[in-house]
Amino acid sequence: MADQLYLENIDEFVTDQNKIVTYKWLSYTLGVHVNQAKQMLYDYVERKRKENSGAQLHVTYLVSGSLIQNGHSCHKVAVVREDKLEAVKSKLAVTASIHVYSIQKAMLKDSGPLFNTDYDILKSNLQNCSKFSAIQCAAAVPRSPAESSSSSKKFEQSHLHMSSETQANNELTTNGHGPPASKQVSQQPKGIMGMFASKAAAKTQETNKEAKTEAKEVINASSAGNKAPGKGNMMSNFFGKAAMNKLKVNLDSEQAVKEEKIVEQPTVSVTEPKLATPAGLKKSSKKAEPVKVLQKEKKRGKRVALSDDETKETENMKKKRRRIKLPESDSSEDEVFPDSPGAYEAESPSPPPPPSPPLEPVPKTEPEPPSAKSSSGENKRKRKRVLKSKTYVDGEGCIVTEKVYESESCTDSEEELKMKTSSVHRPPAMTVKKEPKEERKGPKKGTAALGKANRQVSITGFFQRK
Amino acid sequence: MTTLTRQDLNFGQGREAGPAGPGAGASGLAGFLERTTGLCPPAVVADVLCEFLEVAVHLILYVREVYPVGIFQKRKKYNVPVQMSCHPELNQYIQDTLHCVKPLLEKNDVEKVVVVILDKEHRPVEKFVFEITQPPLLSISSDSLLSHVEQLLRAFILKISVCDAVLDHNPPGCTFTVLVHTREAATRNMEKIQVIKV
Repeated sequence: MADQLYLENIDEFVTDQNKIVTYKWLSYTLGVHVNQAKQMLYDYVERKRKENSGAQLHVTYLVSGSLIQNGHSCHKVAVVREDKLEAVKSKLAVTASIHVYSIQKAMLKDSGPLFNTDYDILKSNLQNCSKFSAIQCAAAVPRSPAESSSSSKKFEQSHLHMSSETQANNELTTNGHGPPASKQVSQQPKGIMGMFASKAAAKTQETNKEAKTEAKEVINASSAGNKAPGKGNMMSNFFGKAAMNKLKVNLDSEQAVKEEKIVEQPTVSVTEPKLATPAGLKKSSKKAEPVKVLQKEKKRGKRVALSDDETKETENMKKKRRRIKLPESDSSEDEVFPDSPGAYEAESPSPPPPPSPPLEPVPKTEPEPPSAKSSSGENKRKRKRVLKSKTYVDGEGCIVTEKVYESESCTDSEEELKMKTSSVHRPPAMTVKKEPKEERKGPKKGTAALGKANRQVSITGFFQRK
Repeated sequence: MTTLTRQDLNFGQGREAGPAGPGAGASGLAGFLERTTGLCPPAVVADVLCEFLEVAVHLILYVREVYPVGIFQKRKKYNVPVQMSCHPELNQYIQDTLHCVKPLLEKNDVEKVVVVILDKEHRPVEKFVFEITQPPLLSISSDSLLSHVEQLLRAFILKISVCDAVLDHNPPGCTFTVLVHTREAATRNMEKIQVIKV
């Protein structure tokens, strides 16, 4: 009878309380070993399905096995929804294990709630988190505080050492254990936000990535196996570990797709023989490199849009899929956000050349933004030659404002107005320190003057749009 | 000591049958957010509440598919992943709305905040109700206070994520709006303030 009690418990959790019951949560709640919890869940699912009582259950499974990808074999672990289970299983060469991961009434759109479910119960059981776990190691004993402080110092030293070697990749040095995920995410919002404003941000990101991978190539040649700095080499971080066959990508699929893009670029594959990037791809990619780079430059906008689109799709279609996924072919360039407010509809299909984002903080006096901005365009209707003032710092450290004719999208004028850094009335600065103050004063005057000029342009632009 | 505790989280019995008639409120996510006034200033409480409401609104929009999922992005809040929109106008709208609610929260004038999902004909099809009440004083140490609050808010997030188990699919082309129900004198006071400012 006690055996049947757990079924009632699970039933209560799932049906009455509408909870997500993961095997880990269940093992802590009922105080049973995880394998027993998995078995309980399986049993419950089977019985419910037999009864066919009508209450719909959604089940997720954890699938792991080996996968032959591009000639390399890797170990894949994935949490998949029931409807994707067969597809994933068929792709694995050898299925090492399948078990029920969670049961819930609701159809989850992504894997976030699964993590949420486990978070609190784990936190409350932090001291004995391995009590019911099947992963045991007799040698794993908590350190004494003295030991832990000395080891952390060593870690820092080695980290500094590595980071000095990889300085060329300034932003995203990782030593294989660092938090690549968070850094990825911080780059990602820029891309998506940039898509709303213009394609510019996406372009910059892409150029950043390319620059990084090229720099990486040089660095990697000299660095040891384990060090794999830079965002693009996150896969190599995992490969560089002792268990080299394990490919456990602990990232969102977005990051996986982004990695894939970088991996495809031939520069990365050259010096990292252990990468999953195959030999075949290396050879073909070397030849195709110049063509690819060109194509990539053209398609950058589409790619980022598509990758974001894909990643949203993949996020929604599967849960926590932990593997590298090759990006799908750019078959159809759908609008990424079909139902978003009309103002942004026009932007996704157009692949503009690489400018820097106009939304960057206003007080910047680099010469690039004004010229680049003018050619970007979400609402590109017509290009006009407009007198613009360009501001830059000349050799003596003075801020110089020049008036130049440039082609500009006439409908963009109002937006550009806000973001313009140049000011017609700004006097040249004597010191660098004075810049921020003057810029603050400057734009106010400048925008007022420019506003009048540009407003006329936009009015005519409105009529010409037809 | 300000305490945020969750007394009860009820899920309704599901929607009324048939297409939404006028005012067919449907199942509510009735969350009781309670707070005590104490050492923690009301401004902090209002901040926490507004932050939470922002996250909750975004999550509701994601889960109920009011907007296409493409505009959402995984972010972290209360140490768990949540989906937030990246659309600047939408974000601005939500922020502005909650900005207006904040002074009411500080003065404890808010009875409940309701997120209503409307169909194409602007008839409500769903309501998510956040009730805000004043509970009796509880004693919780300040150390564990924040983590306790976080835990409760995480539970809210989790509940919102699984709410589609008890809700039917919405018709396409839905929009949403945020209603704030205040206690009696609040609106009059607000009008007074507005008049004075002008």
